[in-house]
Amino acid sequence: MKKKMIFSEFFRNNGVVMGSLLMGLVGFWLIFLVILPQLSMLDYSFRFNLPPSEVGGPKDVYTLSNYQHLIYGSDKTHQTYNTVDLMVFVRTIIAAMAVTIFNIFLCYPLAYFLGQSKGSGFVRLLVVLLIIPYWINEILRAFALRIIFGDSGLLNEALMFLHLTKEPIDFIRQDIALYAGLGYAYILLMLFPMYNVIESLDRNQIEAARDMGASWPRIHRRIVIPHAKPGIVSGATMVFMLSAGALAAPQILGGPSSLWFTQLVYQWFFNSLNWHQGAAYAIVLLVSTIIIVLTVMRIFKVNMGDIGK
Amino acid sequence: MNSGVAVDLENVWIKFGDFVAVREANVHINGGEFFSFLGPSGCGKTTILRAVSGFLEPSDGRVLIGGNDMAGIGPNKRPTALIFQNLALFPLMKVWENISFSMEVTGASAAERRKRADELLDMIALDGQGDKLPSELSGGQKQRVAIARALCANPDVLLLDEPLSALDLKLRQHMRTELREIQQRVGITFIYITHDQGEALTMSDSVAVMKAGVIDQIDTGHNVYDNPSTPFVASFVGENNVFRGKIKSISGEQAIISTNRSGDLLARVTPTQVGKLGVGDDAMMFIRPEALELGADTGNDKTTISANVVNEEFEGNSFSVFLEGDGGKLIKMAVPNVGQDHISDKGVNLSLHYDVNNAIVMPAGELASE
Amino acid sequence: MNSKSLIRIALGVYLIIFFSYLLGPLVVMSLTAFNSSGFPSVSPWACFTYEWFNVLWNDSAIREGIFYSVIIGLGTVALSVSMGLAASIVLTQVWAKFRSTYYTLIIAPILVPGVVLGISTLVFWDRFGKFLGAGDGSMLSNLFHNGIFLTILGQSSFIASYAMLVFVARLQRFDPGLTEAALDLGATHTQAFRKILLPFMRPAIASASVLAFLASFENYNTTTFTIVDYKTLTTVLAQKVRLGINPSISALAFIIITLTVFAALAFEAYRRNQARQEAVKQGKAKVKSGGILPSFMTGNPAAIVFVLLAFVAIVMIGTAQKYSPEQCKIQVREAKQAEIQRRIKELQEQRLIKSQSEARQGPDIFGAPEEDTGGKPSGAFGGVFAPGNLSDDGDTQEPEAEKPSGGSGAFGGVFAPTNLDNGEGN
Repeated sequence: MKKKMIFSEFFRNNGVVMGSLLMGLVGFWLIFLVILPQLSMLDYSFRFNLPPSEVGGPKDVYTLSNYQHLIYGSDKTHQTYNTVDLMVFVRTIIAAMAVTIFNIFLCYPLAYFLGQSKGSGFVRLLVVLLIIPYWINEILRAFALRIIFGDSGLLNEALMFLHLTKEPIDFIRQDIALYAGLGYAYILLMLFPMYNVIESLDRNQIEAARDMGASWPRIHRRIVIPHAKPGIVSGATMVFMLSAGALAAPQILGGPSSLWFTQLVYQWFFNSLNWHQGAAYAIVLLVSTIIIVLTVMRIFKVNMGDIGK
Repeated sequence: MNSGVAVDLENVWIKFGDFVAVREANVHINGGEFFSFLGPSGCGKTTILRAVSGFLEPSDGRVLIGGNDMAGIGPNKRPTALIFQNLALFPLMKVWENISFSMEVTGASAAERRKRADELLDMIALDGQGDKLPSELSGGQKQRVAIARALCANPDVLLLDEPLSALDLKLRQHMRTELREIQQRVGITFIYITHDQGEALTMSDSVAVMKAGVIDQIDTGHNVYDNPSTPFVASFVGENNVFRGKIKSISGEQAIISTNRSGDLLARVTPTQVGKLGVGDDAMMFIRPEALELGADTGNDKTTISANVVNEEFEGNSFSVFLEGDGGKLIKMAVPNVGQDHISDKGVNLSLHYDVNNAIVMPAGELASE
Repeated sequence: MNSKSLIRIALGVYLIIFFSYLLGPLVVMSLTAFNSSGFPSVSPWACFTYEWFNVLWNDSAIREGIFYSVIIGLGTVALSVSMGLAASIVLTQVWAKFRSTYYTLIIAPILVPGVVLGISTLVFWDRFGKFLGAGDGSMLSNLFHNGIFLTILGQSSFIASYAMLVFVARLQRFDPGLTEAALDLGATHTQAFRKILLPFMRPAIASASVLAFLASFENYNTTTFTIVDYKTLTTVLAQKVRLGINPSISALAFIIITLTVFAALAFEAYRRNQARQEAVKQGKAKVKSGGILPSFMTGNPAAIVFVLLAFVAIVMIGTAQKYSPEQCKIQVREAKQAEIQRRIKELQEQRLIKSQSEARQGPDIFGAPEEDTGGKPSGAFGGVFAPGNLSDDGDTQEPEAEKPSGGSGAFGGVFAPTNLDNGEGN
C-alpha cells in the first residue's frame, strides 16, 4: 500500500513522461550496470571453469574451489598454503595502506595552506599546477616515473654524478619506483577532499585559539583535524581503494618480485583464460577492501554521506 | 476580461499523517470577489491555497472552481494562477519572457508573446522594461511582474501567497491599493492570504479568519472588526481590551457581564451568539481602545470603568493611554490627536465611558497570542 | 617574527619539493621526447631531434587508439550525464528514510576497484546474452560482446556517479518554487523540465560532460577488461610501455601536456576576461584605450602567456620541418666509436700489465684477487669483448630486458635498425 502511494506520488510530481524517464535511467543504471553485474560476477566465482560444451551440464555446479585456490593453491589435500598468492594479497593490502598514510602526510600541509589562504592569484596558480598532471593519462605518468627510475634514468645518473653511488640502484626491483608511482598517482584525490573540508573551517576559530595562546601543533590536533576528519577519511578511502585496485602502475613500474593482486586477476583472465578464478580473486579484493574501509570509517565515526566531492 | 468564477471548499480536511492542517473548511467565495484568508503563521492558510491551486489534494472533502470538482486535476490544468511568496520569477529569462511564459507553453509565437507582454507591462506601469532580467528590478517592480505573469495566463482565480510581506511599509501600503485596483479592473476572483490584518481589511470584500486549521469567522472586513464572533477574532483583528467574567443577566441582544475585576458591565452580545449565550456562562467582553471615552458622566455605571493613568504614548495620529483599573486590570485607551499637548498626568483617576454598542460580549475562548 | 619567517621558509621548501615530485616527472618526460636516444633519457643527451614526433604520427596503433577513445568517450558522456542527472533529481525526491541507502548505492561504483567493474560488466553481458537465448554469432550476442558497447557501459557505471555529484551540488541551489510556478502557469512536467530546470543546470551539464569525457578517455583499469577486440589510447599505451619503449611515447606525452597547459591557460584567460568585463560593467574598472595590446589581453597575464607560448609553438613546428639531426647523430656515433676504441686500448694495456705481473709472481693460489674490470675471475675480460659491445657501451646492464613480458623484445624488433646509429640502446 505504501509503495503504491510513493510511486503514484512520484508520478504525480513529475508527470508520466518525465517520471518514467527518470525511473528508467536510474533503474537501468542501478540494476543493469551495478547490481546485476556484481551478482553475476559473484555467481561466476562460485562456478567451475568449464569448456562451453559443458556449461549448463551436470558439472556446472556451485563450488568453493575458486576461493580455496587462493588459500591452498592447487593442492587438493589442503595441506599446504598458496603462499605465493596469499603473500601477494597481503602485500598489496599493506602497501596500499602505506601509500595512503604517506599521501595523508604529504598532502595535509598543502591542503591546509590552500584551504586557509584567500583566493589569491598565487593560490589559483597552485591549484592549476595541481590539476594539470591529472589530465595526463595515468599510463603516461607511470611511464614518466619509469624513465626517471630506470637504470639509466635521471635519478641514477644524478646520483652517480654526485658520486653518491657507483652503480645504478635498481629502483624498480626494489619496489621503490612502484611505491613512488602509487603515491604520485592519487595525490589529487587525497588533496581535494582535504582542501574542501579545511576551506570550510572558519578562520576565526583558529585565530581565537591563537589568541588564547595555543601552539600550532595543538591547534592542528584539536581544531583543524577534527573538522577535517571527514575530508581526510574520504580522501584516504579513495586512495586506498584505488591503490589496492591499481593496475597500470604495477604493470609498468613493478619489478618481477612485486606482483600486485590485480595483476593476478589480470593473469587469470587474459593468460589462463579462467574467468571464474579471476572473478573469485576479484571478489576477494572487493570484499576485503570494503571491509577495511568500513572498519576505518566506523573507527573514525564517518558516514557514507561525507564521501563525495 | 474574465467574469468572476466562484470557488467552493466543501468540508475540506487536509491532513499530513496525524497532523491536521485544515479542519472541516467550508467556504464559498463569490465570482469576482477579493477574498482573504487571515491568520497567524501555521494556521493553515497556505495549505488551503495550495489545495485550491492543485499542489495538494485534500484528504477529505472537495474543492470546486466554477462549480467543477477539481479532484485529480493537476496545477497545470486548473484555471488558477499562483503568486508565490518569494515570487519565483524565472531568473534566467527576461521580464517579457517571464510574463508571457504561460503563452510559451501553449506554443504561441514569439511575436504574439512579445505583444501581449508589452500590453501587460503597460498595465503595470513598467513599459519599456521588458528586456531586463528579474535580478535588475526592485522589490516592488518584481512584485508587479509576478502579477502580470499570472494575469497573462488568463486565470479564473488568482491566488496570492502573502505577496507583500517582503516589502517595506510605504511600498506595502501603495501596493495594497494597487492590487485592489487591478482586481477591480480585471474583475477576476482574488484569493489572498496574509497574516497582516491591515491588508486583509483594506483590500478584501470578505475575510476568513483562521486559527490552527479552523476557520473562525467568514465575514466582511467591517463585520470582522465590529462583530467578531470568537475571542480569537476579537483579539487578532485590531486591538481590543478584554474583560473576563460570567454572564449575570441577558435581555434580548444585550447582556450584563460580571467581570472579575471591573464590576458589572453592560455589553452587546455578538450576533452569532444571540440566543445561545446563557446566564452563568464564562464570558469575555471586548472593547476597542478607541471606543473608550473621557467625557461627561452619563451616570450609568454599567457602561463606566474607573482606572488610574499609568502611562501615555504619542502615536502620531493618536495618543495611547495605558490605565490600571481595580485589581491591576490593564486597559488601553486611544484618543485621536486633535492638537492636545497630552491627555492626562500619571496617577490621575479617570472615568472611562463607552457606548454599549461598542462593547461585545461572547463565550470565553482562546485569545490570539501576543 | 623569527618563527614566522622560519615557517615561511619551511613552507617554501615543502612547496618546492611537493611540486617537483608532482611536475618533475612530466618535465623530464617532455624533454626525453626531443632526445635522439632510442631509449627515453635526459642524460646523456645525444641530439636534439623532432623525429620521435614523426614516429608517433606514423603509428597506426596509436591513431586507432585515439579514434576509439574518442568514440567511447562520446558515448560515455551521453550515457553517464543522463544517468547522473536523473539520479540527482531522484535523490531530491526520494523519501528521507531511503535517502542514505540510495545515496550509498549510487556512490558505490566510485569506490569499487576499476578491475572489478570491468570484469563484472564483461561477465554479466555474456551471461545476459545467454540468458536471452542469443546464440553465438547472433546480433544480440555480438552486441553483448562488443568492446565498444561493453566499455561504454562499464565506464558509465562509475562515471555517472561523478556526474551525479556535480549535479547534486548545482541542484541544491535550485528553487523548487520555479518548477511549481511553471506548472501553475500551465506547463507540462516535460516543459517545466526543459524550460526551467535544464537551463539552470546547463553549466553543471557542461562541466559534468567535460569531466566525464576526460575520465573516460584516460580510464585504464576497467577498459582493459571490457575492450575485447578493440583498443583505446590507454590500452595501446600500456601495451607499448610494457613491450617496447621509445621516445615516441614521450612525444605523445609532451603533446598532451602542451595541450593541457594551453587549455588551462585559455580557460584562465577566459575567466579573467569575464571577471574584467563584469568589473567594467559595474564601474569598478576602467576600459584602457590606446594600448598596444588587443583588448582581450590587457590586464590578463594568462592571455599574454598563452599568446607567447602559441607563438613559440608555431615557431617550433615550423623549424621542425627543416631541422635534421643527422649531422649531430653522425657526430655522436663517431664519438662513441672513438670512446670504444679508447676503452679497448685501455683494457689491452691493463691485460698486458697483468700478464706481466703474473709472469713474475706465478699463478695465484689464494684465488684471483678482485679485478676492477669485472666480477667473476674467468669473465674479467670476457664480457668486454662480447660481440654486442661494439655497438653498445660496455658498462650498461640492460635491466629493462628483465621486464616479464619484454624478454627478447626489449630491444629486438623496435630498436635493431636504430641501435647502430645511437650509442645508447637498451
